[in-house]
Amino acid sequence: MRAFLIDAVVTFNFWVLFYFLALNLIYVILFAASLVEVLRFIKRTFFSDYQQILQSDMTWPISILVPAHNEEKNIVESIRSLQLVNYGEFEIIVINDDSTDRTLAKLIEAFELRRVDKVYRKSLTTQQVRGIYGSLTHSNLLVIDKERGGKSDALNAGINLARFPLFCSVDADSIIEDNALLRVVKPFMEHPGEMVAVGGIVRIANGCEVHEGRIAKVHLPPTSLPIFQVVEYLRAFLTGRMGWSVLRSLLIISGAFGLYKKSDVIAVGGYDPESDTEDLELVVRLHQYCRERKLRYRIVFVPDPVCWTEAPTTFKILRLQRNRWHRGLLQSLWRHKRMFFNPRYGVIGLFAFPYFLMFEMIGPFIEIAGYVAVPAAWALGILNIQFMVLFFVLSMLAGVFLSVAAVLLEEISFRRYNSWQDLLKLLLFGALENFGYRQILSIFKVKAFFDFLRRRRGWGDMKRRGFHKRQISSPNPASF
Amino acid sequence: MEQGGPMYTFLVWAIGSFFTVFVLLVLVIVAMKSRRQWQESRWRTRRAQLEPALFKYVAGREPLETYTGGALDASDRPIVEQIFFDLSRIVSGHVIDRAHQAFEQLGFVDYYIHRLDSHRWWTRAEAAEKLGLMGSRRAIPPLVAKMDDLIPDVRVRVARALGSIGSPEAVRPLVHALRAPGRWSAIRVSGILIAAGNEAVQALLEEFYALPMHAQLSAIDIFARIRSLDTVGLLRDLLRHEQPDLRARAAFALGTIGDPGSLDLLTGALRDRAWAVRAMAAKALGRIRDESCIPALCGALADTEWWVRANAAEALKNKGERGTQALLSMLDAQDIYAAQQAVQMLQEAGVLDTLVSQLGSQEPGRRQEALEVMAKLVRLRRTDLLTEMAHNHPESSIRQRLSILLGLRLSPEPVA
Repeated sequence: MRAFLIDAVVTFNFWVLFYFLALNLIYVILFAASLVEVLRFIKRTFFSDYQQILQSDMTWPISILVPAHNEEKNIVESIRSLQLVNYGEFEIIVINDDSTDRTLAKLIEAFELRRVDKVYRKSLTTQQVRGIYGSLTHSNLLVIDKERGGKSDALNAGINLARFPLFCSVDADSIIEDNALLRVVKPFMEHPGEMVAVGGIVRIANGCEVHEGRIAKVHLPPTSLPIFQVVEYLRAFLTGRMGWSVLRSLLIISGAFGLYKKSDVIAVGGYDPESDTEDLELVVRLHQYCRERKLRYRIVFVPDPVCWTEAPTTFKILRLQRNRWHRGLLQSLWRHKRMFFNPRYGVIGLFAFPYFLMFEMIGPFIEIAGYVAVPAAWALGILNIQFMVLFFVLSMLAGVFLSVAAVLLEEISFRRYNSWQDLLKLLLFGALENFGYRQILSIFKVKAFFDFLRRRRGWGDMKRRGFHKRQISSPNPASF
Repeated sequence: MEQGGPMYTFLVWAIGSFFTVFVLLVLVIVAMKSRRQWQESRWRTRRAQLEPALFKYVAGREPLETYTGGALDASDRPIVEQIFFDLSRIVSGHVIDRAHQAFEQLGFVDYYIHRLDSHRWWTRAEAAEKLGLMGSRRAIPPLVAKMDDLIPDVRVRVARALGSIGSPEAVRPLVHALRAPGRWSAIRVSGILIAAGNEAVQALLEEFYALPMHAQLSAIDIFARIRSLDTVGLLRDLLRHEQPDLRARAAFALGTIGDPGSLDLLTGALRDRAWAVRAMAAKALGRIRDESCIPALCGALADTEWWVRANAAEALKNKGERGTQALLSMLDAQDIYAAQQAVQMLQEAGVLDTLVSQLGSQEPGRRQEALEVMAKLVRLRRTDLLTEMAHNHPESSIRQRLSILLGLRLSPEPVA
């Protein structure tokens, strides 16, 4: 029996080592791809290009969709901020998803809304629309008041009312930068026939100074938990999504900020109200749709259209958020299981899906099993202390390397965190996140896996407390 | 795992590698940030020192050295350049001429002409962009030579530079550049051709039928933006072209140009077999100041395609009083979609607000006229706005009349 246990532990050790090497090799490939792409992006970015997009009649107009459920604290400020974006022709459609607070009342007061008899095309099925409001003061603002159906349902209602060929989904509790639309639309201008969706980067607003709905000064958050998330977001967006985008395997565009071709989204049936992560599910379905029809298409990430959002500041809300993200990921992987290792779906089926299965779904179990196996091996007297220490140091260093690499990409490219203090904090927290934070996230994911098996649904109670103090929930940076 | 064994060696080697890379990355980050901050600080200081002298120079007539107190350092080049470019955006005339003289005198033009031959495409593109901003006619020949660059981004910037210098040599290569596929190239090239005006129109007219279709579509957009009457003949011909995209774009362009002579053709296009053409024809008719097309637009309100109905309704809204009357008459239409579009446009045009106010009129005829329209809205079940007004209109008599009409039981005071 003891010999068997020893064999099992040694085999497990080798298996974990192999797994670890494979995972880190993929991370290094993603980082290298991201580095090359970021450098290329910077070289190709001329400010005058954006001026031309702004001034051209040929630039596609955009419908901005803002789903809102109980957003009375910040909805008016958010819409005022959206009204100021630097873009030619756009409309803003706020979808009040049966808020029980004064969201609708505040909008009515602030923008002098009144009911209008607008022709509404039901391209996508949604919950009942109670009414459509137009603004007397802002001709490009419309508000849909509808029965509760969740964020996906709200977005689908917005798509039904949208007039323009492109729509941008924006969370009501986020702030998009002035030039974000100009930047996110550029790939559509470059590849109009092929572009299906473009995602922008989401950054964390905790600690930043907000003035009149704009980020006036960028700072790191004052507390530890959001700083860990800043490093995590940098890694996930600048290294992860950038790399996946280069490999044409981008599976996630944050619900907080993404631009889509409306006709393609309608063709796949819009957002899925049954999914916990409607953003991921939509992108997977778009890939599936295009691959099955052998269409030439692109779904890309561009790193400089910035959307600012607030990160959870307590572990309780972080747990709810990550639980939902992970459940959503598992739902989508399960629903589209026929894409696994299916050459029909190209790199998505042969690489991206297996990666998410092997490393995103199973990874947390391996990590937790490792922490359990060490004391078990010690109890059996078969713990190789030398191996354990060396492997532990290696895995921590690999984690630190990836975080620091993401900070390097930030420093090469967009440099939002200007002070030395912020930079040193980023480096420090990039190292520290491997000692506790990462493990806690793994536990959240393991719990989410069992919740998925139990078919638990929903967002949990994500409390909002107004723009400066609020906890929010939305974008999924999906760790690599 | 034994010390010195392959596993041990591998782990130690991997740790050493990761640690070395980690230290290197940190050093690179710190070095980059230090360098950048030093440069920014120097830039700010030097700019503050140079700006007053350069402002005096552009306002004066003496050579640059007179104001700067001697020759400028090579490291000042980007700062001086930026100051002049910033000035160029907000001023014109003599100041621009002086800035251009300075670019020549300081050797900036030669510097960027030389960089047009760089092996890095982005350096060539940047050089072309800067030469365009510097406005030196001496740069025209090397820029024209670069119109054949292999990289489209360079070609477009060269073309734009030639356009901003005001060189007619740019027009032909630009028309050629329209052939490059992609909306992005089209946007960039079109912008320059539009700025070139009539010269671009003539070149495009000559080469139109030799262009591929996507370039023809861009050319039609350019005609629409320039609004040249010289293009009307071609656009009318295109309304009969076999390609629906060309027909649709030509209809749109004729509307933008506002050519009343094309009215019959556009009215005929409302019966085109392609819905996109019908939609664009409706849009175009809304832009032409003529009311004879109103009956045809009323017919288009009952089109099977939503966009045609929407554009026809919008066009009727733009037709003034007669358009409004047509929209009001459409409330009796058998086609429910036509009636709904008419309601939406009447609301957007503010006609319903006026009619609601008429409910408080002392003249029975005007009240009756308004009530009849309201009754039609009730029949069509398009009463959201009326209900809102029944709650919130400031005049109690109007609220009362509306609530009776809508069968509502309302409070005597406005809700809002």
